[in-house]
Amino acid sequence: MIKLIHLTKQYGEQTAINNIHLTVKAGEIFGFIGPNGAGKTTTIQIMAGLLLPNSGNVLLSDISMIDNPVKAKQLVGYIPDRPFIYEKLTGIEYMRFIGDFYQVSEASFKKRSEKLLHQFALWDRRNELIEAYSHGMKQRLIMGSALLHEPPIIIVDEPMVGLDPVAIKLVRDIFQKRSQGGTTIFMSTHTLNLAEQICHRVGIIHNGQLIATGSMADLKATSKKETKDLEDIFFQLTFANTMDNSA
Amino acid sequence: MKEIQTLLRPRFLALVRQRLSLKKLMAMSFFAGIGISIWSIIFYVSYRVLTYFKSVESIGDFLSYKLLSMILLTLFSLLVFSAILTALSKLFLSTDLGLVHALPVKSESIFVARWIESTFDSSWMMLLYTAPAFIAFGIVFDGSIFYYFFLLCILLCMAIIAGGLSALIVMPIVLIMPATRIRSIFVFLGLGVFVTLYVSFRIMQPERFVNPEGFASIMLYIRTISLPSTPMIPSTWVFNTLQTALEGHYHESLFHIGILISFSLTLIFFNIIIAQLIYFRGYSKAQTAQSRLISGSNPLVYRLLSKVPGPVRAIFIKESKTFWRDQTQWSQLFLIGALIVIYLYNFSVLPFDQTPFKAYYIENLFSFLNIALAAFVLTAIGARFVFPSISHEGMSFWIIQSSPVSIRTYLWIKWLCYFIPLIIFSEILIITTNILLHVNPFMKVLSVITIACITPGVVATGIGLGAAYPDFKSENPTQTVTGFGGLMYMFCSSAFFGSVVLLETGPVYLFFNAHFQINLIKGMDIVLIILSFCLSLLICVCMVFIPMRFGEHRLTQRIQKQTPDTGYQQIESPSLKAEAQTRQEILLTRVNTIRSGNANRYPAKNVLEEIRECC
Repeated sequence: MIKLIHLTKQYGEQTAINNIHLTVKAGEIFGFIGPNGAGKTTTIQIMAGLLLPNSGNVLLSDISMIDNPVKAKQLVGYIPDRPFIYEKLTGIEYMRFIGDFYQVSEASFKKRSEKLLHQFALWDRRNELIEAYSHGMKQRLIMGSALLHEPPIIIVDEPMVGLDPVAIKLVRDIFQKRSQGGTTIFMSTHTLNLAEQICHRVGIIHNGQLIATGSMADLKATSKKETKDLEDIFFQLTFANTMDNSA
Repeated sequence: MKEIQTLLRPRFLALVRQRLSLKKLMAMSFFAGIGISIWSIIFYVSYRVLTYFKSVESIGDFLSYKLLSMILLTLFSLLVFSAILTALSKLFLSTDLGLVHALPVKSESIFVARWIESTFDSSWMMLLYTAPAFIAFGIVFDGSIFYYFFLLCILLCMAIIAGGLSALIVMPIVLIMPATRIRSIFVFLGLGVFVTLYVSFRIMQPERFVNPEGFASIMLYIRTISLPSTPMIPSTWVFNTLQTALEGHYHESLFHIGILISFSLTLIFFNIIIAQLIYFRGYSKAQTAQSRLISGSNPLVYRLLSKVPGPVRAIFIKESKTFWRDQTQWSQLFLIGALIVIYLYNFSVLPFDQTPFKAYYIENLFSFLNIALAAFVLTAIGARFVFPSISHEGMSFWIIQSSPVSIRTYLWIKWLCYFIPLIIFSEILIITTNILLHVNPFMKVLSVITIACITPGVVATGIGLGAAYPDFKSENPTQTVTGFGGLMYMFCSSAFFGSVVLLETGPVYLFFNAHFQINLIKGMDIVLIILSFCLSLLICVCMVFIPMRFGEHRLTQRIQKQTPDTGYQQIESPSLKAEAQTRQEILLTRVNTIRSGNANRYPAKNVLEEIRECC
């Protein structure tokens, strides 16, 4: 379970996220959407322990990321939006590197890494240096490595960037399957279709504030009658908000 | 021509549009001060040497011209070597080349723009720092204004010729070999040549050049120093230009500089022709991945480290593998290897038998000074490998940040990774030099213990200050040592080992006095010895923990201040902010138009597409 408690982060005088309060239940896939610069990545980086908030707290299975980051990070599989990894390691070496950090035993590592590398179609190229991988392959490797220690919480920033349609389907299926197994998934995305298809609930962030949360049905109920899909809701909420502000 | 100007404009704008904060201005003034001091020292030394040569009757001018010829030959060789390395990077390996080659520009225009950049980058510093030597020649030989005019022309021609030759060498080779490998090979060859030249130079005992008595006859001496240089190399034409200009034979200078200019232009012409034919093919080939298949995953290493905690094993293996697989690190290793060879060789040729003092005394004195020298070598190695090790994480630093390891633990693991090889290295260095110097057991033990105490501090200073001043976005993290943090590291580390060695001076002095029975060690002396050693030890312990704490504190602070790579960082840029606002205003106008019922002008579908793009 994930709890964001009155989370605020400022960069100098600029408020990146303002008093975000949110709970994501165990086994839930939560979609986090919003325009560029709305505060998605900042929120995700605070949740993953990459940034400290100015105020508020993040509880992951009741462990505070602020007070006990090492223990909290053990519970998380973090997938960033851009695949920057050690280019001079091979795919399998990178996985072992991550496995060592999360204290994955040798036997478990062998079993899980083989399964994940096959699953993400990287088995045949596991002994190649990562520098020879394409963007999508690096992204798949990061995803596979994030799942290596079987985390109860997955935090994903833009999971589909750079992936081909086959990989997108694969990731979608994996997330759904993991969620059914009790894994909590917090996912920021610009792919509104994806959010609509797989997320149990969606949160819309705009100008650092969470302006709407709920299931698709909840959001449709609160929006105008002609609203058909998430895209419409997103458009209405974010731009109506901007217009109100500008007025 | 306009294309070339456009291609060069970003570089020019980056130079002139630097934001000068007070901190940056101070740093620039500091570096400028160092630069001016070095320039002045070169000028002063050259002036003194030339004045001395000039005062030697009959052969003074011969000596000066021989020196000029040697300087020019060395300068030209270094220019060509440096130009080859820079041309490889600029023409074939730069990360922005993909963008440039995608532009609708002829490949020869890209070549010329890059070649101009490469020639400038590879030569400006060398020319700037050899200029004082040439100016000293002008002053000592009463050169007229024409000499300085010719000097400017020849420096420019030398840069163009070196740049032109390097491009002519590099372009065909890239077609045969991977560009990254050529650079390592050239660096290796260059260092090999340097070490060989140095050792041969030492064997030649150049001090004999200024001592005619060492030669069988004065005629043989003059013949040795006035051997003509080959007329087929550009440095000879440069030499002839400067010599004739110094002697006032300007018409001859014009002839020689004519050769230089025509050769420079010919080289440019040939380079453009060859670039038209093969530059793009070479660039395309340089982008092709080499064989990067690594055989197996080395299970022995994992088995050996199976009892080590996971994070330590992870970072240790990652550091060693990335280090050995990164060819840019090899050149650093070659450099260190050359440094060690020269260092040890110098100890083996020290002429203790010719000293008027007792050899025993001198050998032990050298052994003591050698502690400081070894610590300096250690600091230099730290500057190349330890200090940039945090910056080497680059954009992958998120992996460490998101992993279940605190910054403190991470920094200590890094410290351990570098401490183990460096303690082995420094002990080998100190023991080898002690053997070469035949020092007594006291000095042996003292030097071995002292270097063992200094090494953890030097490594901690490197890691700590590397963490305090990292550059995760640098394309070449090794160069971070030339920045403020690197300078701080060099200063702190030198002050650290300097103070330890200084504190040990007293006890060593007392010990040798007692050894030669000048003064026996008394009660107060023992107190002084104990105090000195305790204080040294305290400094060593402090220098392990203080820099590490400082680095941890600064790195944690820095992480908190950083903005995500998207969003806020972009919006902070005034131009992007303005663009985003304009775009938002346009979209709002369109949304209002739709709301007002005039939807036909802007179909909602199109607006949604734009919003999607905007988001």
